[in-house]
Parts: sequence; structure tokens; C-alpha cells
Amino acid sequence: MGECRLSVRGLCRVFPGGAGLHETDLDVDEGEVHALVGLNGAGKTTLMRLLLGMLRPDSGTVRICGHDLCTADPTIWARVGHLVEHPLAYPELDCRANMTVAARLQGVPTAQVAAVVDAAIEELDLAAYEHVRAAVLSSGNRQRLGLATALAHDPDLIVLDEPTNALDPRGVIVLRELLLARSRHGTGVLVSSHHLDEVARIADRITVINHGRAIGSLDPAGTDIERAFFAMVHAADEACRP
Amino acid sequence: MNRLIGTAIAVEARKLVASRVARYATVLVVGGIAVMTASIAAAADAGNEQILAQLGDLADEDGWSRLAGIAIQITSAAGLLGFGVVMAFVVGREFADGTISGLFALPVARAAIAAAKLIVVLVWTAGVAVCLVIAIVATGVILGNGVPGTDATDGLARLFVLTVLSGPLAVPSAWAATLGRGLLPGITVTIGIIASAQILVVVGAGAWYPAAAPALWAIDPPSVSAAQLGQVLVVTTAFGIATTRSWARLQLDR
Repeated sequence: MGECRLSVRGLCRVFPGGAGLHETDLDVDEGEVHALVGLNGAGKTTLMRLLLGMLRPDSGTVRICGHDLCTADPTIWARVGHLVEHPLAYPELDCRANMTVAARLQGVPTAQVAAVVDAAIEELDLAAYEHVRAAVLSSGNRQRLGLATALAHDPDLIVLDEPTNALDPRGVIVLRELLLARSRHGTGVLVSSHHLDEVARIADRITVINHGRAIGSLDPAGTDIERAFFAMVHAADEACRP
Repeated sequence: MNRLIGTAIAVEARKLVASRVARYATVLVVGGIAVMTASIAAAADAGNEQILAQLGDLADEDGWSRLAGIAIQITSAAGLLGFGVVMAFVVGREFADGTISGLFALPVARAAIAAAKLIVVLVWTAGVAVCLVIAIVATGVILGNGVPGTDATDGLARLFVLTVLSGPLAVPSAWAATLGRGLLPGITVTIGIIASAQILVVVGAGAWYPAAAPALWAIDPPSVSAAQLGQVLVVTTAFGIATTRSWARLQLDR
């Protein structure tokens, strides 16, 4: 059995008013694509923020590649790539410069940065925009640049929040092929999405998040995944009603 | 704090060099102060009574001494304003652009990124100080003061020191931009520092106010003690530590 890329146990963070994340467990294994699905405000982004250190939990643990989040050193963080909400893309820099900056922050040795950036430009099909400032990119190409800056250093764990946002159909396919290729080489992928059909194409495991809780799993090979999703959410909502 | 600070400095330097805000600020601080200095000096040389009245003791000076004195008076407010805006931009833009989320979960520590931002802006202010002195020398030559000699050195050196010390005075705006999650709080604090310095100078307590001490020293060195001038270092260090700690403990919870 391979290394567990991500392990979450009893994770909890409650905001004033009661929203947030409650007692959530989650695993992403080596070579696995684990998808999170849920309605807007379900807690998917909060979960991702917690496991990347953007929020501190009230309780629970997060282990990345076997190491506790609280004591993770640079070598552990160098194995993580993420895109949560906004791309790491500075308007004044062109695509190559943005990827160079990101690669350096992700710990890529200086001598290897150019080769890493070249590979990312090819992988995300960004050659036409290599010397275009991010400020003038369309939102779709800006998202593609954000994915390139997040993934260029070939991380062992990828965390993506709604990565297909603003992507055109071609961009969606590029991303799908990229994630499947990375997972075949052992990368663990945690991805959130509203697009159930897209999730079903790439995920090995689908977890449904609702009102800050993981309420169950969907079978990616299921025949009517949308119906199963809404039935699960409806049942959870009914169970919460007084 | 040392976690890959060199990498963070290289990244922040690249971003600052590419930014239009820093470019415009350099032109406005250097060019603006030079043009204002030239205008006032030319008017004074021509005997404009209103300008001479506004210059106070400087009206009795002439040549390089008066020119440097005018530049110092203008730089005391305009320099800090320009540096504060750039400091607020460098820190606050990460929140305004949403790029702050990409600065989590990296081998480079956020405290190192914050420290790198401060260091890069302070180095930039030193560069602006060099450019400003060169611009004022050019202004003096154009106005007919001749080649600057030993009489010019003292005033130009004080102008250089004042400009360099105005950079650290902008560090509180970095902390404000962090706490306020954007550019505006940093710019507001900068304006507040300038306004409060003016008021305290008028009431006679300026030398003990870190934001006013460098300007008062540059205008009249014996009027400010080393201890009073040293407060700039204390304030810079305190707000620098506060900023890096705030970045280290940052949460995206609002």
C-alpha cells in the first residue's frame, strides 16, 4: 500500500453563527483522485483552507505525506501544490515570470526553474501567452496560469478548489488529462467541484459535503450520480430538521 | 524567520521592479520634489516676497544651502507619502488581488515573505534617495549655482539621510495593510503619520516624535539628539516585528 498523501481526522472549525466544518475525516492516498462535492457554502473551501494552514482548526489533525501540518517543514510543503480561490498570478508579471516566481517559492532549485517552467507551459498549453502579462489575460487563461503555478513543481499532493472555473472545454480536458496523468504516477489529488459529470470522469472516490459535514460517498461509476447526490443531501437536511 | 528569506527577497524584488506603482512613485518622488524645489528656489532667487516669507530662515541663505534646505522641507512630507503608498501597495496588494492564498503551504515561510517585502522597499527607498540627490544637484546646476563644492555637500548629505530614514517611517503602514487586509488602511496610516508629525512640530514636541525627528534633524541638526533620532530605529524594528508576526499567524478568516 502506498503513502497516505493526506489524512484528516476529526477536523473542526466553527465560525460565529455556527457555519464552518464539523468533525470531518478524509484521506487521499497515493495515486488517488478524491473529489469533494457539495452545494455552495457546504464547507468545501473551508476544509481546503484548514488542511493548507490558511485557517487554524478548533480541533482535529491534518497529516500531509505522514507529517503533522503544525510541524511541517519546507521539504513537506515543497511536495504540495494548491489552487484555492484566486490564482497566484501577479498582473504586472507575464506568464513565464509568474511561473518562475511560483517555482522559486515552491522550493525548486534555481538551476532547475527554467526547465520546470518550460514543462508547465507545454503541459498547460500556455506557449501563446508565455510573454503576455497576467493583467491582460482572459479569466480562463488566468485560471490556466494559476493551475500552472500550482502544479509546475510536480507535487505529491494536489489540492484544487473548483479548478474548472472559467476554463473553456479545451481547458477542462487539458486539466482532466493532467490530473489523471499525475495520479497514475502516484500523486494524490483532492479536488472540489460543482460539476458532477466531470468529477465522475476522474475521481476514484467522491465525498459529499453538506452543512460542514462529510455526509457520505458517491460511486463514481454510478449510473445517475446527480440523483444520488441530491437524495443524499435531501436526506441529510431532513435528518437535521427538528 | 530565516526559512528561505533569500528566495523571498529575490521574488519580492522581481515583483517590485515590474510594478508600475513603484515606477510611478519613483518618478513622482524624485521628479516631483526636484520640480517643486526648482520652482520655489527660482522664485526666491527672483525676489518673490511671498515665497521668501514662507521660507523663513532659508530666505537668508543662498545658492546650494537654500536649494538643499527647500528640498529637505519638501521631502519631509512628500518622501514619506510616496514611500508609505508603495509600502501599503507591496503588502496590501496580496489581499486586494487575492494572491495571499497562494502564499500559504509553501516552503518559504510567510514571515520570510513579509520580511522580504520590508527589506525590498527599504532598499528601494535608498535607491530613490540616491536618485533624488542627483536630481537636486542637476537642478542646482541648471539654476546657475555652479558645480557643487564643499558648501553643497552638507545640505545634500542631510537630504540623502532624511530620504533614507523616511523609508523606515513607512513600516507602520505595512502592519496596517496586514491588519486591514488591503492597501487603503496602509495609505490611511501613512497620511495619519504625516499629519500628526506636522501637528507635533507646530506644538514643539516634534523631536520626540519618530516621524518628525529625521526632518527636524535635516533642517537643523543640533536641535535633535542622537537618542531622539534613534527612535526611528526602535519604531521600525517594533513595527517590522509586528508585521512579520502578523503574517506568520495569518488566517484567511475574513
